[in-house]
Amino acid sequence: MIRRFFNTLFDFEHQETTGDVIFFRLFELCVIYWTLYHSWSWGFYIPKIGDVVLPLGIAEYMDISFMFDHNLAIVNATVITIASALAFFKRWRYGYLLVILGLHLQYVARYSLGEISHGSNVIGVVLVGMAIGVIAFKEGHLQRRFILGYSYFFVGFGYFISGISKLVATGITWPDGAHLWMWMAERTVDMFALTGQINHNFVQNIVSNSWLIATLALAFGMCGELLGWLMWNKKYRPYITTCLIMFHVGVLLVMKINFPSNLAMLVFLAYPWAALIDWFTTRYDGVLPAVPAAR
Amino acid sequence: MAEIPTLLRKVQRLIVAILLVYVALVSTHLGEFWPFSIYPMFSRGGHPWVRSLVRDVTHTPDSLLWRAQSEDTLPGDPFALGPEGISGNDLSNFVSKSKEWDRERIDGMRKLFGESLQSRSLMIYYVEGRLDQDRHISVKYRPFILMLPDSTALDKDLAERHRDMLP
Repeated sequence: MIRRFFNTLFDFEHQETTGDVIFFRLFELCVIYWTLYHSWSWGFYIPKIGDVVLPLGIAEYMDISFMFDHNLAIVNATVITIASALAFFKRWRYGYLLVILGLHLQYVARYSLGEISHGSNVIGVVLVGMAIGVIAFKEGHLQRRFILGYSYFFVGFGYFISGISKLVATGITWPDGAHLWMWMAERTVDMFALTGQINHNFVQNIVSNSWLIATLALAFGMCGELLGWLMWNKKYRPYITTCLIMFHVGVLLVMKINFPSNLAMLVFLAYPWAALIDWFTTRYDGVLPAVPAAR
Repeated sequence: MAEIPTLLRKVQRLIVAILLVYVALVSTHLGEFWPFSIYPMFSRGGHPWVRSLVRDVTHTPDSLLWRAQSEDTLPGDPFALGPEGISGNDLSNFVSKSKEWDRERIDGMRKLFGESLQSRSLMIYYVEGRLDQDRHISVKYRPFILMLPDSTALDKDLAERHRDMLP
């Protein structure tokens, strides 16, 4: 049964197509884009920091304040950029390993003021898979199958344990609509602090005026997270991932919290894009330039 | 290419090993070791929260500075963090997770504001949200840290009360 589970997840029997290769390179580019986005935006912010309030990750074992001065955060972002390019163009097998280590350092320096941000975790988790996949497998098509299977597994797992965290911390009453009102009030203060104004959108007005709608919204989110493991199955993947995308859009509308890199990963992992690319290339065969087979 | 059963054994070992590292790291680091996490955000429903808000009080009389307020009666002018390139979450966490306000901590806080403090007086409000039995939400704004261009004043009673609340 376990063997069958892994067989379904990694699908090594699948004959790789041009669409698979193009899709994977776009997926890889998306991960690199968000990696560079995070590493540079954190790199420019880190010099503003003057004290460590909450050490995270490796910062629990070393004084991370050395990253605040001498433009070391910018140097680190540069190293991450070069390593990403070397890894993407297959010039250095350990490129993604250096990227994930560099990004960890950048993260713990950036979030040393007390905030524990989760906006970059999905990208980080996928990067771990890319680093391991490239080192563990020599053939390109095996690397690609491993990285995608790994991503379905750990992204689905992440949403599942997020649902479990809610059950453990609050229990079955977590979807009480009043809890959503509390978080909305918290976010209202945050937006007031950020912009100097208080503005509520149409969706926030609806949710704040109906306990039932607020409760249903939370119940939908919790069920979606608890069923995150359905991403492991190809048949259910588009449906559960669509639910998770809707959940993120809901969080954006109601709480004004945006997770663009998580959303991008979900959109990539949700749908059979490779098959769509194959359909497209077959339909326009001869019109489009040929893509060399990469194995 | 290796045989499918060999490949499956290899990925099985890899996934189990990564999963074990994941569980070991999050269980020994309070649920967080980036990029691994138990994603505890918004897991405690109905729990009181503490955030922060900044007002420009350069032209506010001293008599109005240290009074608790509601959002409609806050003195001074809005000081929006966004255009100043300051993260609101950083400021709120700085306020809510600091146990001791020593010189280093206060300097760290002032560094976040950079040049904004050169010609202004800013008040950081300690904003507390609570859910009562009737599902009513109360939000209180308490003046906490006054940052003048050359000095800083802190409500020590509030800092002490907050420290007692921290785990």
